Amino acid sequence: MTALPDAIGTTRTRRVIVGIVAWCAGFAFALPLLWMLVGSFRTGQETFSSMFPLSWRMFVPQDPTLDNYATLLGGEFGLSVANSVFVTAVTILVGLAICAMSAFALSVLRFRGAAFVFALVVLSFLIPFDAIAVPLSNLFREWGLANTYVGLILPGLANGFAIFVLRQFFMAIPFELAEAARIDGVSWWGVFWRIYLPLSKPALIGAGFTLFLFQWGAYLWPLLIGTEPSKVLGPIALANLSGQFEVDFGAIFAGSVLLTAVPMVLLLFFQRYFTASLSATGSKG
Amino acid sequence: MLFLLPALVLLIALRIVPMLGAAVDSLKQGSASADGGEFVGFENFAYLFADPGFQSVLAVTGLFLLIIVPGQLVVSLVLALLLVERVPGLGLVRVLVFIPVAAPAAVATVVWGIAYQPKGPINATLTALGLPPQPFLTSTDQALLSIIVLMSWIGVGYWTLFLIAGLQDIPRELYEAAAIDGAGWWRAFWSITLPNLRRTLAFVVVANTVSSVLAFVPVQILTQGGPAGSTRLIMYDLYNNTFQLGDVNLGQTEVVVLLVFLIAVTAVQFRMLNREEH
Repeated sequence: MTALPDAIGTTRTRRVIVGIVAWCAGFAFALPLLWMLVGSFRTGQETFSSMFPLSWRMFVPQDPTLDNYATLLGGEFGLSVANSVFVTAVTILVGLAICAMSAFALSVLRFRGAAFVFALVVLSFLIPFDAIAVPLSNLFREWGLANTYVGLILPGLANGFAIFVLRQFFMAIPFELAEAARIDGVSWWGVFWRIYLPLSKPALIGAGFTLFLFQWGAYLWPLLIGTEPSKVLGPIALANLSGQFEVDFGAIFAGSVLLTAVPMVLLLFFQRYFTASLSATGSKG
Repeated sequence: MLFLLPALVLLIALRIVPMLGAAVDSLKQGSASADGGEFVGFENFAYLFADPGFQSVLAVTGLFLLIIVPGQLVVSLVLALLLVERVPGLGLVRVLVFIPVAAPAAVATVVWGIAYQPKGPINATLTALGLPPQPFLTSTDQALLSIIVLMSWIGVGYWTLFLIAGLQDIPRELYEAAAIDGAGWWRAFWSITLPNLRRTLAFVVVANTVSSVLAFVPVQILTQGGPAGSTRLIMYDLYNNTFQLGDVNLGQTEVVVLLVFLIAVTAVQFRMLNREEH
């Protein structure tokens, strides 16, 4: 088979070059993560002393230690990670229920004003949350939601993107299934719970992942609303570590690894669903 | 209707109400006072746009967008073109490029912050190559660029995924026809790849503009807008005006400016998409 004109690697030499460049690029992107991982297993002092002169020592801890992790988890950082896990878990469970219900209503139920509601959802999807986070935080303080779990969780629940992805998926499910069930006397709730949800696992995973990434990585909102030490979330605690007078670099690396490991494992595990939901938005946009 | 109720309540309370609130506050002065302040028309906007400090914030934000959006687009496109080639271990390479997306913004910020230290790994590499060490975040010339690089570490992998999907959607028959016509790679790239990738490219430009104009974390953690205001992006400026200076109305006015910009950008996208469908 001859190569089509969109192929760069047309000859053997060119294929080798393409392969090398691609691998170098991939390696370059992963390098900071590798350095972070290595740094979490040694003292901050060693991180810096291992680089002058530059050698392979930069990526191999001389005297591997778990002290950084022990220090972190015993202190306030451990509490902040627990807060993050709790806030994110509730967001995914409650948020998925709310987003799936509204996506179901917008794709299956016929009702007056559906177009208006959908426009509202799309609007909220297009206006990014961070843009209105500052005015919203003033309202939350008036409503007495500052420094509460409810205050931290609420903004992550209704996600326009998640609703959109789920709606696209629900629209692809044949309406005859719902009709037949309705004739058999199943309630709309039953149709939603027993037909649509079980058929929509990939979309639910994609949408759940969106909710997860939003909440787990959130920085501005918890900075505005969760300032009390007992309600601090992981990313804020990490920034606080790097702002201290005497910076413990080993602890910062270990904290970074903890905050990255959770999304990374999930990402590798669910990559297929996530990219599927992304490309659905990208092309139909 | 019960199905919609929770989402509807949340969307109205969390998006519409604060948006309207910001719009109202932007037309008032002294909202934080006991009497709720008074309406002053567009005085806040007039003050803001005449203020050299805010003009500099707009200039810095504009410069930031002009570098980061085209820069990430070109790098992502080159990577996407490479990652649809037949490369051994392709799946793994794609994962490596994409994996920084997993890192929360705060993590990327603190790790790159350490990398940019005077005695950090980047300067160690420069020294080993016989080049002079650079100041990075403490230099007015390099700080903004340093923030762009750290944000692109996450952004590029993300946009590359969209572009790979876009490239794979282009019908193979088009290239087969081009092969019969004897077209080379460049010709096929200009006449087939780019025109067919238009929608994806437009989406990436708009989505990237929207997410970049909201850049906040690196500025807040690493530079606080400095040195000499060279990284004072609009999100940090409005955060600072509202909470450090305590001028709620000025902060809200900036929120409105930001929202108008975001709505304009998305409106342009909708017009482009609509035009194509006709």
